Amino acid sequence: MKRASRTTTLLTYAVALVLIVFVGFPLLWMVLSSLKPSTELFVNPPRILPRAITLEWYANLVGSSDALSLFRNSLVVGVATTVVCLTLGTFAAYGVTRFDFPGKRAFLGAALISYVFPAIVLFISVYMIINSLGLIDTRLGLILCHCILTFPFALWMLKSFFEGVPREIDEAAWVDGASFTQTFVLVILPLSLPGLFSVAVFVFVLSWNEFLFASVMITSGDLKTIPLGIAEFITSFDIRWGEIMAIGTLATVPVVIMFLCVQRYFVAGVTSGAIKG
Amino acid sequence: MSAVSARLAAIGSRYAASGRRPPRTGRFLDRFLRDHKARIGLVFIAPALAFLIVFVAYPVIEVVRLSFHLVDFATDQEKFVGFANFVQVLRDAKLGTVAWNTLVWTIFSLAGQFALGLTAALCINQRLPGMTLIRTILLLPYVVPVIALALFWRWMLDGSFGIVSAALQSAGAIAPDQSPLATPDGAMATVILANTWRGFPFVMISYWAALQAIPHELYEAASVDGAGPWQEFRYVTLPHLVTITKVMLVLRLIWTVTFFDIIWLITRGGPGGATEHWPIWIYQETMGFFRFGSGAALAVLLAGMLMLLSAVYLVATRGSAAR
Repeated sequence: MKRASRTTTLLTYAVALVLIVFVGFPLLWMVLSSLKPSTELFVNPPRILPRAITLEWYANLVGSSDALSLFRNSLVVGVATTVVCLTLGTFAAYGVTRFDFPGKRAFLGAALISYVFPAIVLFISVYMIINSLGLIDTRLGLILCHCILTFPFALWMLKSFFEGVPREIDEAAWVDGASFTQTFVLVILPLSLPGLFSVAVFVFVLSWNEFLFASVMITSGDLKTIPLGIAEFITSFDIRWGEIMAIGTLATVPVVIMFLCVQRYFVAGVTSGAIKG
Repeated sequence: MSAVSARLAAIGSRYAASGRRPPRTGRFLDRFLRDHKARIGLVFIAPALAFLIVFVAYPVIEVVRLSFHLVDFATDQEKFVGFANFVQVLRDAKLGTVAWNTLVWTIFSLAGQFALGLTAALCINQRLPGMTLIRTILLLPYVVPVIALALFWRWMLDGSFGIVSAALQSAGAIAPDQSPLATPDGAMATVILANTWRGFPFVMISYWAALQAIPHELYEAASVDGAGPWQEFRYVTLPHLVTITKVMLVLRLIWTVTFFDIIWLITRGGPGGATEHWPIWIYQETMGFFRFGSGAALAVLLAGMLMLLSAVYLVATRGSAAR
């Protein structure tokens, strides 16, 4: 693209500024509110910058076992989902990129079914399946549900990473006497490690943020994940905005940091059509 | 030569020696039985295939089956009722309102996301200092948990202490101490705005990728021919965005219509059903009233409508592309 003219430059930065305020203000406001004491939180009209900063809302959260259990549950479900989904995904992606077999295209297409049948359509029958397996209100049940959501995108992203590893490398390993499994585990996986890592992060973030399946599958308080726990926090009669803004911030910060680490792959993933929004 | 082709050659010569023709088992099965690599490939995808069958393919069939049954969840009994569930939901008094809300929600969310997304993409596509940072910031809404988004939106719109409510109140747009979420139109506008906030980065990055793929020479040629910025945009940039727009329209349509979390977490479909759209109806039938059959009927209607719309759209745009 040619160098922008002066007018274009000014216009671009002006538009960018408006967009950044639109995107950034709500986030900034959440963080600022989480740091304001009650006397500044509950004033009308609201003040933008706090005169005093308090960590009491965060202290309340860290001191409450309920809040800690939400984070623990989200972490456990997120990590387990990532492990299950990546195991299924890497094997399948290796299979479809290295071998020809009848029905390969059908398999790749079938993996995309859940794009056209989103969670809101599938959750009724998934609920009944999980129920008949006796897994309602268990972490395992929720982990399986999260894999339904994350698997298609993991498979397609991993497929594009594996396609980036030349087949000659596989063949060289076979000639040296490696089995298919050895080639996969010792040669291809290490070579695609950055890709694997980025897929893992996206799977984890999707699981961490997921609400619908969690609300359907989980009923007991000590198994609730963050989105589910907070959602009930706000419907209760007494809305404690300070703590709510603090827990919102705590839920957002980890995924934002993880996202920043793998942003580059996100852009590539959207471009290749692997990521849904 | 690989071990596999050596093995294949061995199988071939065995047949040649015995003077028999290979068994006629059909093309696919034949290849499967003889080709070692095909079998290995199937072994690698087997776990994923099993998972997809049990947790994706089977639920799709099951939701259709359920929509023709009356499910008593307490006793775990099912009874075939034909189209009774469909008749029941289509006769429901709120059908019109929910359909209208779904339409408004979808059209305005898509319009907002595409308008902001394209604007932002054109912006970050300029070769200017700081654009990488700006792109990163503009991508953030995509990863912010919907629950956090719902929280700060509700807080900013709180009737007594919300900063946006305060601004609207002092501008006289709403009554003092009132929240926009308390009025039907205000609530709908809020959830649409929140959805635009969350969804536009995806559109932005897709458009940006398409913009990056436009060859520089086209702009050079256009400026040699004396084209101004508007003409460059109209005759060089826009034509290159047609394909991605078509694809994204279908995808975003499906994801927007079926998006449940934002409305549920901000308004729960209120006030008085003013923001209740199709997914919320499905959720309430199923998890609120435990009417799994009619919930499934609503889900099937939704999926059916989306498939029909996508098919019509694909046929229509293919026709225009051929011209």
